[in-house]
Amino acid sequence: MRAEALKGHLDGLILATLQGGPAHGYVIAQALRARSEGAFDLPEGTLYPALHRLERAGLVTSEWSTQAGRRRRTYRLTRAGEKTLDERRLEWRVLANAIEAVLA
Amino acid sequence: MSWLGEFEDELKLRGIRPAARERLLAEFADHIACEEGASTRLELTRLGKAREIAAQYADELAADDARRGALGAFAALSLAALAVVVAQMSLGRIGYPGFNHGYGTPLALIAIAAFVIGSQVALVCGTLAAWRALRRRREAVLPAAEIALMHRRSRLGVAAGLVTTCGLLLYAVDFIGVLPAWWLVLSGSLAVGASAALVVAWRAIARGSATVALTSGPPGDLFDDIPPLRRLRAHPLALWALATLAVGGAVTVFEWHAEHSLAEGLQRGVFEALALSVCFALLGRAIGARR
Repeated sequence: MRAEALKGHLDGLILATLQGGPAHGYVIAQALRARSEGAFDLPEGTLYPALHRLERAGLVTSEWSTQAGRRRRTYRLTRAGEKTLDERRLEWRVLANAIEAVLA
Repeated sequence: MSWLGEFEDELKLRGIRPAARERLLAEFADHIACEEGASTRLELTRLGKAREIAAQYADELAADDARRGALGAFAALSLAALAVVVAQMSLGRIGYPGFNHGYGTPLALIAIAAFVIGSQVALVCGTLAAWRALRRRREAVLPAAEIALMHRRSRLGVAAGLVTTCGLLLYAVDFIGVLPAWWLVLSGSLAVGASAALVVAWRAIARGSATVALTSGPPGDLFDDIPPLRRLRAHPLALWALATLAVGGAVTVFEWHAEHSLAEGLQRGVFEALALSVCFALLGRAIGARR
């Protein structure tokens, strides 16, 4: 699936991935690919601007840790992020049902 | 050049702050290192183009910074407004000294003019900046021209706020021998505190405006901020005439009743209308009130 098609949904997808627990960028990228069975093959670099944007909006927090001598930034969902994720899910269900009703 | 090297150059070109740049580079270095032995393939095929990612980051950061700068300016201006109101209300209780009771009439006139005009420019520019930031709060990316408009409004608002607090300080200095010590200490402290908040807001705006946004698009203007005024977009002179008459008229009526003198009311109303005309001519384009 092209990155363009995911535009507008990327934030929700990242939040959903983080609902499973704190993760760093690489793990989030892998999880997105695995959970979509390879359909979401977006440029992985675009995740980081999105993560920073979500952090500025207060939807995720992050902290440094050191793993095998490397600095790693781990992201965690906030309460506001969980609330936003619920809203995104609801919006998506309404949209998906409407599209399904028209296309089917 | 490596992908990371290219990415760093692109971030520098876009004016990304060193702390944010270092954080991003560390995150990308970790990401690349996660796939040991396949980093070249990963860099080339899966990360995406360094220029595009840096551009996406810069455009989003610039929009966020502009909004934060505008809201920060409004918060600092609100503090300044509170300081001015407290100082004025307490002065009203003591009784205003005459112009000629201070060190010099010109000093008093400069202080009052700075105080009166500065506060109004600050109110208009700060409110317009914050209003635009709130209206566009859901947009991840904004046109560069619109970001520039938000920064100009914020900067002008904060600068006018500083003129106002300086006016208040100047007034206190001019009447240092006439007004009670407690009022001088109170108004001086309030003016200094408010000025400090405004300087902090100014620094945040300056830091935010260093990020280079390149998204194309119209800057927007006063008329899409205030939809009822849209019909006047093509007629800036009509907007000027309307604003001058409305504000000048309101001040005339208010002062006429407050001072029980039509002549006094007219004098202040005309001064207000003239001040507004000068500000419209000087700042109208900068704040998006005319093209």
